[in-house]
Amino acid sequence: MSLPEPGMTLYAGAIGLIVIGIAGIVISKNLFRILLALVIAEAGANMMLVLAGFRFEAIAPIITGQGMPMVDPVPQAMVLTAIVIGVGIQALALSLIMRVYKAYGTLDMRVLSRRLEQDISNDAGVSPGSSEEEPAGVRPLPSPMGVISKQGADA
Amino acid sequence: MNPAEMNPQDMHQIVLTVVLPLLAAFLLPVFGRISMTFTRYLGPIVLLIGLLSTYVVWGEMTQPYMIAIGGFAPPTGIVFYIDQLSLLFTALVLLMSLLLWPYHRDTSVREYSLSLLLAGAACGLALSGDLFNIYVFYELASVASFGLVAAIASGAAYAAAIRYLIISGFGSVLALTGIALVYTQTGTLNLAQLALLAPEQLSNITGITAFLLILLGVGVKAELFPVNTWVPEVYATAKKRVSALLAGLVSKLAVLVLVRLLVLVFQTEQALQIMLLLGVLGVISGELAAWRAKDMSRMLAYSSIGQLGMVFIAFSIPGEAGLYAGIAVALHHLLVKPALFLLAERWGKSLEGLRGAARVSPGGAMLFVLFALSLVGVPPLPGFWAKLLVVMGLISQGAAMYSVALAVILIATVIEANYFFRLAITLYAKTEAGEKTGEETEPKAHARLDIATSALFGAALIAAVVFIVPLGQQLKDTASQAANVKTYISTVFPTDGR
Repeated sequence: MSLPEPGMTLYAGAIGLIVIGIAGIVISKNLFRILLALVIAEAGANMMLVLAGFRFEAIAPIITGQGMPMVDPVPQAMVLTAIVIGVGIQALALSLIMRVYKAYGTLDMRVLSRRLEQDISNDAGVSPGSSEEEPAGVRPLPSPMGVISKQGADA
Repeated sequence: MNPAEMNPQDMHQIVLTVVLPLLAAFLLPVFGRISMTFTRYLGPIVLLIGLLSTYVVWGEMTQPYMIAIGGFAPPTGIVFYIDQLSLLFTALVLLMSLLLWPYHRDTSVREYSLSLLLAGAACGLALSGDLFNIYVFYELASVASFGLVAAIASGAAYAAAIRYLIISGFGSVLALTGIALVYTQTGTLNLAQLALLAPEQLSNITGITAFLLILLGVGVKAELFPVNTWVPEVYATAKKRVSALLAGLVSKLAVLVLVRLLVLVFQTEQALQIMLLLGVLGVISGELAAWRAKDMSRMLAYSSIGQLGMVFIAFSIPGEAGLYAGIAVALHHLLVKPALFLLAERWGKSLEGLRGAARVSPGGAMLFVLFALSLVGVPPLPGFWAKLLVVMGLISQGAAMYSVALAVILIATVIEANYFFRLAITLYAKTEAGEKTGEETEPKAHARLDIATSALFGAALIAAVVFIVPLGQQLKDTASQAANVKTYISTVFPTDGR
């Protein structure tokens, strides 16, 4: 089965959107841009799903009694669901992004992941990243990051 | 379904396990304004009702059956497929949600809501027999878990949650594309119909691509190798009960979805090879990172990646043996990892700081050693038998890839033993006079609850040692039922298979 010309173009468009979106997620450093890239990729995936059941010679799936071939309605219903889910997740993501900006004052993914790593290590009372193993039986010194861990306080 | 043997009223109540938690989750914020006491008890009550109906269905079920939701017959309608495997996981979802429920009094209503949402969506994942329905439940579980991770309301938790959300969203796009590919090839998303059509229409390059996309997409939750960067951040920042739920339960449900797809739809050699490869990489990266970790939360997070890698390796063994081994390893991890996370609630700090912690809480330390021994695979604990099944399965396969996986699993066991025993020795280390032990403060009330819950898991583990033979037989039955594609098809399409 060979697809008609506009079908191929549309498929290429859908795949293109997905590729653009994924490239954006990987390349972008700003959290907001990454989210936008995600939205683009989602649009591509949705388009692909619509195309899966689309036929150019057919009419919209509404029963009119004309006996014409109809477009497959199932993917369209599914895409509707997927769009709603997508919007919900985007709203959640935006609110999280706002909270992150309030907490760290930046949306740069590189800075964020470094600060996050630091915060987790500080919270656990270990020095971030790799450091020399402490000699066995010796109590660890307070980490150079100036963490006030419980052990550090009474050493 | 065979109405002559089973009472349909009883059998249909399994739908309650999905409907009631979801309904309660949406109504809870309203109830919270009326009566806080009622709100506090509603969640556990709903979960108990769900457990009860699962129990009733379990008792009456003689063979797999399906429920056409809303009375629309498949493939037009959406079906729930109920066999021993899905019922087992439904029961586990409800039980674990109940055990890991946020019981302390300062929990907000939203957190109750999200926990119920997660439980309902997870039950839906276990029961659903329709690919798109699975996608919807998967997204629902995702949203609930983002909310639960962020519920601790610290900057780090927000950052971890948004990074988790982005990776998860990326995964959803891949999964949705995969689903679209499946639909282009077959024109259906009903798993039974897909199982019928798959041998001729999905055993080509498009089918493999679709599987890879869905594997990577759903694999985000299952901590699959390249898409698991969220794991250490989230488990270190979220509440430990949430980490326990995500590591123990949600990851296993994602695995369950993948296994259903693998058995029914993508039963090809290449699909198994891909899963084996990613599993091996997961084991290597996870165990090595866990060995280097300096705090307990992240050590457990990385070791969980390694364990999930082993689950994937187990499921990539073709045939019933693989399913049996995979289910055994997954169940064992589901039992042990949440308990370890509960212990980490008190001990989440640096590993060095835990010197002599055993003297302050001997019970906790004993439990830790028990779980660690089982996770490493010391006989006669259940972890040993689960690992043995995987090893036996791998030995019986001739291909070179499987031998590599075998070597990796054995080496990983050594690494695992090293870091767990290192921590156990630290726990029992002698402290010098006047020196304070890892924890000086009296355990808080909910810390005691955590130890109690984790002791319950320990008791279950020891009970499993005693009943290992009937348990193994039961799991074997479950696996062989799940591996039977013909039953699945004839159950959903009783007349002619179309």
